[in-house]
Amino acid sequence: MPQNLKRFSFTRRTATAMLLGAAAATALPGMGMAQEQVTLQAIFLPATWGVVVRDVLAPQYEKETGVKVDVQLVGRDAIHEKMATLFAAQDPSFDIFNLDYSWIPEFGAGGHLLPLDDLLSEDDKADLFKTALEVGSWNGTLYGLPQTIHPHVLWYRADLYADPEVQAAYKAKTGSDLAPPTTMAEWLQQAAYFNGTQYEGQTIYGWAAQAAKGFGNVHTWLTFLYGYGGSAFNEDFSASTLSTPEAIAATKQWAEMMKYMPPGSSAFTYDDVTTSAQQGTVATALQWSWGAFAVDDPASSKTVGDWQFVEVPAVEAGGQSHPHLASWVISVSKYSKHADEAKKFTAWLETKANDVLQASLGGGDPVRASSYSDPTLTEAKLEGSDVLRFRRYDVVLKAMQNTKPRPFFPGEEAWETVVSGPLQAIQLGEKSVEDGLAEADAAVDRLLSR
Amino acid sequence: MPDSTATLTRGAVHRSGRGGWSWFARRYGAILPMAPGMLFLVVMSIYPTIYSLVISLFRWNLSDPTRMRFGGWHNFGLLLTDVTFWNAVGVTFKFVLIAVSLELILGLAIALLFFQRFPGDRFLRALLILPMVVAPVVVGLLSRYMLNVQFGIITFLTEALGLGRIDFFGEPNLALGTLIVIDIWQWTPFMFLIMLAALQGVPEDIIEAAKVDGARPVRIFFDHILHLIRYPVAVAVALRLIDAFRVYDIIFMTTRGGPIDVTQTLSWQIYDAGFKSLDIGYAAAYSWLMLIIVVATVTLVLRLLLNEQASR
Repeated sequence: MPQNLKRFSFTRRTATAMLLGAAAATALPGMGMAQEQVTLQAIFLPATWGVVVRDVLAPQYEKETGVKVDVQLVGRDAIHEKMATLFAAQDPSFDIFNLDYSWIPEFGAGGHLLPLDDLLSEDDKADLFKTALEVGSWNGTLYGLPQTIHPHVLWYRADLYADPEVQAAYKAKTGSDLAPPTTMAEWLQQAAYFNGTQYEGQTIYGWAAQAAKGFGNVHTWLTFLYGYGGSAFNEDFSASTLSTPEAIAATKQWAEMMKYMPPGSSAFTYDDVTTSAQQGTVATALQWSWGAFAVDDPASSKTVGDWQFVEVPAVEAGGQSHPHLASWVISVSKYSKHADEAKKFTAWLETKANDVLQASLGGGDPVRASSYSDPTLTEAKLEGSDVLRFRRYDVVLKAMQNTKPRPFFPGEEAWETVVSGPLQAIQLGEKSVEDGLAEADAAVDRLLSR
Repeated sequence: MPDSTATLTRGAVHRSGRGGWSWFARRYGAILPMAPGMLFLVVMSIYPTIYSLVISLFRWNLSDPTRMRFGGWHNFGLLLTDVTFWNAVGVTFKFVLIAVSLELILGLAIALLFFQRFPGDRFLRALLILPMVVAPVVVGLLSRYMLNVQFGIITFLTEALGLGRIDFFGEPNLALGTLIVIDIWQWTPFMFLIMLAALQGVPEDIIEAAKVDGARPVRIFFDHILHLIRYPVAVAVALRLIDAFRVYDIIFMTTRGGPIDVTQTLSWQIYDAGFKSLDIGYAAAYSWLMLIIVVATVTLVLRLLLNEQASR
């Protein structure tokens, strides 16, 4: 075959192949419509429940349904920023968001979240904690399906409290028997006693709790405020009520307690409290119930099995505490292009079986009351020990009966930022309780006027 | 002659007509190559600037972007009567003025040391500029761990020296100073580099002539060298001032505006208003006030520097 003819033949074959390719490419999208794999984009907190969703549940869901869920783990403040900017632009890039419940009023009122009421049967509604559903709702519509709840509970070092030598020394010094505190006065006395003492070769401090400026110190202080019967706002959220006798008494107790935390505690975050508990450098801690999994992890903790949990002490003997509630919910973006699929995945994540599975993998405390009696959880023990893994559950159930959420209104995120500064001035002794709270009142009222 | 040339040129333009390509090329030829750059500037800088000015006049929260109410000077009025704004202005000025002054003095002093050659000077120069190439967010993270009051290496040193544990970021009297020291550590090399380049550009004959006249090194430095390097100094100070006003990364990684409000700078407050409160109108007004403060301060400092030097 002449050379130029060969070249012509090759060119013709190439052109034909390209034409066929182009035709196939044009036809395929139409043919593939029915089988197109949906990929949901989700943002979760990089806490254990977010990791469990990314590493275990999302892959399992894809196996079961063919729907891929791409989970990104993003820090708390970054989630809030991302949601605000994506929603402002009505951007459909993400379908599912993991929310701190305090953002529900903000984004619910803005109309950026899809109602999820239709995902729940009557049985579901009866089984899910009422408070958890309330903080996932705004104006009677459910916008966030609860994924985890964790009220404040009091942690105490059971080995320390049970040590006869420690008990005797405590009795000699205070005249009281050493037992987990049931009142704020007892807790203060114990924190003051233990602060700076030596135990098993290391210095221990009275207690640890979140105290960093931003939201940490506010979250801890709220448990004191609620315990003393205080409230941050009047009923319609039109005025700050931080200078009431209850708020002043609560803040005085909180500020007094702050003296018995480890050095550098004014910057303590959730992680710092966990580390202190893991290292055994504190006698007690006010921490989220869920965080207990970390102290039972032999890879990072020196105090595996040593911590026990009781309700937050009440103001007076026989009284009732009102611990501050933390909870994370799952919401679907109104701008999602796969809203139905996103809602299905959200509902699937919180079925009874998955509620238990998530908890068993350390992914937060269950949101269904029935999960707290599931043998998978109640009978689970720490490896090589008789200590129950989820020994905190009785206390969590009690705490859930009296827990209170953060001020539930659209400006909560800004509110806690504003209140945090004056509270830190009080905790560092730079301002008196009265002056600090008056300043906080003025700052909040100013915020409301904006 | 120049007049007749101009007349001829104008005549030629007139003859070629106004619609032709050659007329267009002559008329706008010089501008055309700049057009992409100008367009980029308009899209990326001028439009956002004007837009931010517009939204600063609105009461607009990002959580409900459809509800945008005109407020006029409302945001500016609120800001100017807000104690936290004035606190942030004070904190920012303290940070900027102390940090940049010390960076200038230290940078110049080190540059004078390196102006003379000595064994290993190149290696040391390379070492000196290392902090400058590290991202501020990494510097913040390193500082947080090094100065951690529980396990930081600096805490071990202070304890070994009998000073006990010092809470550098948590103690209200220390936090801002600690941030200033970190900034100085990172940015003195920048001053050093510019000062060294400036010193190397000083004509040697002037220094020699001053020596011949019997001037001492200190007099030579203050009377001659400082005057000759005034423009590089002004550029370095202006750049550092602008950069220092924007400080954010280190604060984000260490104090987050605390303790209390002692490290709450203008840029941190803008972040709080814009991304915590989602109050975009308020944050935009904040940004405009900050811009005015930065421009006024830089202009004033440059005038002071250049006038002071020129009057010598």
